[in-house]
Amino acid sequence: MSIVTGALRNVRDVARDPRSWWQRSKGNIELWANLIVLGWALVFMLWRGGGFAITVGSVFAIWAILAVSLNLVVGYAGLLSVGHIGFLGIGAYTTAVLTSHASYEQLRTEAIPTFGWPFFAALPFSVLLAGVVALVVGVAFNRFRDDIYVLVSFGFAVIAFTTFLSWRNLTRGAFGIHEIARPAIGPWVFDGELEFLALLLVFLGLVVLIAWLIVTSSFGRVLTAIREDEQAIQVFGYRTTHYKLAIWVISAMIAGLAGALLASWSTFIDPNSFVLLESVLLVSIVILGGLASIWGSLLGALAFVMLEEGMRFVPFLPSEFIGQIRQVILGILLVLLMLFRPQGLVGRFKL
Amino acid sequence: MSTQVDPRVYVLETREISKSFGAVKAIDQLTISILREWLTCIVGPNGSGKSTLINLLSGLLPLDGGIVVVDNVGLRVVKAHASPDHGITRTFQEVRLFDQISVWDNIMVVLTERRVFPALLERAKPSHRDEAERILKSVGMWEKRDAMAQDLSYGQRKLLEIGRAMAMDVQIYLFDEPFAGLFPRMLEQVKSILKDMREQKRSIVFVSHNMDIVRELSDHLFVLDSGTLLAAGEVEEVLARSTVIDAYLGH
Amino acid sequence: MSVARLRDASVVSFLKIREQQSRLLAMALAVAIVAYIGWKIVQSPDQALQFAFNGLAVGAVYALLAMGFTFVYSTVWFFDLYYGAAAAIGAYGVFYLRSHDVLGGQYAVNSGPVNVLFAVVTAGVAAWALHVLCYRRFQGRAQPRTLLIIGGLLAAAVGVYTGLVLANPANLHVLLSPLVAVLVTGGATWVLRRGFQRVVAPATRGPLGAMVTVAIVVGVLVAILVANTPSLGLYLSWGVACLLSGTVSLALYRGLYVTMRERANSPLIMLVASLGILLAITAFITIVFRAAPRPLPEAFGSEPWTIGGANIKGFNVFAIGLAVAGFGVLLFLVKKTAFGKAVRAIGDDEEVAKVVGINTTVIIAVVFFIGAVYAALAGLVSGHDTAIQPRMGLLLLLKGWIASVVGGIGSLYGAIVGGFALGMLEQFGIWDLAGEWRDVISFIVLIVFLSFWPQGLLPRK
Repeated sequence: MSIVTGALRNVRDVARDPRSWWQRSKGNIELWANLIVLGWALVFMLWRGGGFAITVGSVFAIWAILAVSLNLVVGYAGLLSVGHIGFLGIGAYTTAVLTSHASYEQLRTEAIPTFGWPFFAALPFSVLLAGVVALVVGVAFNRFRDDIYVLVSFGFAVIAFTTFLSWRNLTRGAFGIHEIARPAIGPWVFDGELEFLALLLVFLGLVVLIAWLIVTSSFGRVLTAIREDEQAIQVFGYRTTHYKLAIWVISAMIAGLAGALLASWSTFIDPNSFVLLESVLLVSIVILGGLASIWGSLLGALAFVMLEEGMRFVPFLPSEFIGQIRQVILGILLVLLMLFRPQGLVGRFKL
Repeated sequence: MSTQVDPRVYVLETREISKSFGAVKAIDQLTISILREWLTCIVGPNGSGKSTLINLLSGLLPLDGGIVVVDNVGLRVVKAHASPDHGITRTFQEVRLFDQISVWDNIMVVLTERRVFPALLERAKPSHRDEAERILKSVGMWEKRDAMAQDLSYGQRKLLEIGRAMAMDVQIYLFDEPFAGLFPRMLEQVKSILKDMREQKRSIVFVSHNMDIVRELSDHLFVLDSGTLLAAGEVEEVLARSTVIDAYLGH
Repeated sequence: MSVARLRDASVVSFLKIREQQSRLLAMALAVAIVAYIGWKIVQSPDQALQFAFNGLAVGAVYALLAMGFTFVYSTVWFFDLYYGAAAAIGAYGVFYLRSHDVLGGQYAVNSGPVNVLFAVVTAGVAAWALHVLCYRRFQGRAQPRTLLIIGGLLAAAVGVYTGLVLANPANLHVLLSPLVAVLVTGGATWVLRRGFQRVVAPATRGPLGAMVTVAIVVGVLVAILVANTPSLGLYLSWGVACLLSGTVSLALYRGLYVTMRERANSPLIMLVASLGILLAITAFITIVFRAAPRPLPEAFGSEPWTIGGANIKGFNVFAIGLAVAGFGVLLFLVKKTAFGKAVRAIGDDEEVAKVVGINTTVIIAVVFFIGAVYAALAGLVSGHDTAIQPRMGLLLLLKGWIASVVGGIGSLYGAIVGGFALGMLEQFGIWDLAGEWRDVISFIVLIVFLSFWPQGLLPRK
């Protein structure tokens, strides 16, 4: 809340003396980060028009849900997990398998069981399965810290990816799963892109609300203390392993939700969406936006999406390189952030 | 059978506890008894095992052997997260605050719910706020409540850590060098805090190198040397013993 | 003894049992694995031999990477993920220089900007190296400006030479012959002097002029031989690839890590920064070479021999030998030389080492260089064995990291043992599974080890 009141106070002061604005905001990196990213997004939306805004908005919403969920673990609990893409994949594949109604007999590729459930029936299972897997993984991972945690979380991403690729009776391996159902409430199907965007934004709002409730609760305060000094907070009577496990499972469930939405949005998934490098990109989004800041994760996701879209309009840039150049830029940004601003653009925690 | 001591006199006892780090015996078969509602001081040369003893009592280090008796309950394993249940809290020799959160949250975090799921649903309660406000005012940090703990001066950090321990409503307080590196004004403040806590019938154990403070404050004194008990008893009497003087000057 | 005390005693014994249980579980697990492998061997000894040999061959790659990684880690105490990229640079460096040789030049790559980039990086590193190594010595003898100009020209020459070599991969044997001449001359001089001092007349300088003459003659002869042997191109490209990845690591060290370590010496910050570097270099490689897997040209020993029912490739034997030799070299450096003493001193306490008068910057730079060369060797050996793709860096790095943790973090013995052990476990693990599960097996091995033997097989003392 202090951020809001502080901002309001600033607005009031600037309104009294407009010329002081430059003096006030000159060194304020947070303000400039917000202005530049939001301004950039706004200009692009206005310039490119509605269809563009809908697509970009949908991609942004999915990344933002993921980034918020990962920030709960990295920024608040201080566990640098590089394997979160695995939970996205679990959510996506659960929804895909349960809702796909493609028949593969004609395609002469490996057939997988067809359930043909509606999306909203599969959604809870996606979330739950991600949570159950997270519980098992979390019990095994709970004793690790810092750089070893990075290594084992890499391991989780690799194991998840290999499972998606190689459990062909369930996932069709590299062929991927087609015809994943779009959400429907009674007769009303979220077929159009605009309706789906609205649904995504509703879920994003819900996730932000849940994350906000968590981090402002007593639980959230304890998490930050665990991040700062786990032994010290243990002495005050907290079973830190339970806390870490709880936030890990919650975060995984949110990532599973993002996966379910992703599967339904794109109606086709294959293991390539869940490779290790995507997971590293996700971590860089969270660090770029800001650790221990929900708004930071939203900002980071927006900057990430706009970076890609912005590069489409750089002259002489072959479109097949855009993803790679974005990766180069993110890598360099990560280095620069670690050098000059370890908390990220609007973060509250330095690694 | 003439000197049967009421077991309730001792709030915390150790029975032949040991702790080794490799070949070094940091604590060697140590048996001490700490009196209820007294200010007990532990002194000893550097490396005599004072901090190790406190770490063992608060469960930060596992015992190699022996029993810790808290309120007549014998424990062979003290778990760190269970130490408040036994009525123990502590401060650290090198201040260990939660650096990147606010002073206010540093106090609030020890007041709130311990169990995971109730903590998820709990928002800051008025009773917790009042208690945090009381603690922060009593250590003189109320004006600094919105600052990050890492931005405080050394003395303020020391005070905040003592305040954090005070916020735990327990029986036994273990203070590891609460006076080290403080300016005289803050020293007086810490002294008065300790005296107040004794008034409130708390049992306090503290480690110090400052003999003037030891003489002024403590009711009871233990002298450790190489992990064993060298002397115990009344302050003036113990400090006058030749073995104790040797231990300090002889090395 | 009160009732409460008794109750707690039972809790205690329960805890003890749990501890013993986990130890028993670990033992049972180890026994089960050994029994499984033993049963497999009895079932079909031929196949077992094949899998064991494959395990050693794969393990050699992991061991090479793990040794470099551990060497660097035990000096600066953070996990430098650049070594994944170093492995990829090693493999793709060979591909870059030999791409006209692969599948009839179908995927030939040679891009001007890349050549210029590496020329500039090499020139920069050369300038820095000249400054660090030679500036002091010549400081009093000439004007600073003269030194600056000479140093600049030398560095520029090194850069231009690198650019030329990269731009003309078909004539690698000709272009590299001067470098070979210089290196062989230097090496021969050193050998002759050491030999003379050891064998003929200790504590004398000996006939320096004669020895240098002999060395120059040897160097020129070898260079002429090299220049007339086009088939050496592949093996020369190995050297160039290793040097390139070492140069990049030096550039990163001087350009980035020195500053970062001054600002915030936190292992996690360094790890994330090096993750950024890995991301950027991987993407850069993808842009230059595309994401699809590519083969490396045929190296020697690709004809399989059959020994006891197992097919064994000569190249794999070479790889195993390379790992063992690399271990020997590293062990010699660490245990027997002044350099090794300095490295260990820095690993124990960098500040103290600085105070004692060790030039930590130079020593750490050399350590980084060696680590990158080992990683590059691992990358190109694995590339020759299978194929190369831009993502290989990250995966190889993870394997090397796992091997160093399984072997015992920070221990050189642990790195080589861990590397070979991981390779064997992986290969025996995929006996009954499909080969694509090998990464999963490595990570399961890692998690089991971290849970039961967090110190690793041979912990650092």
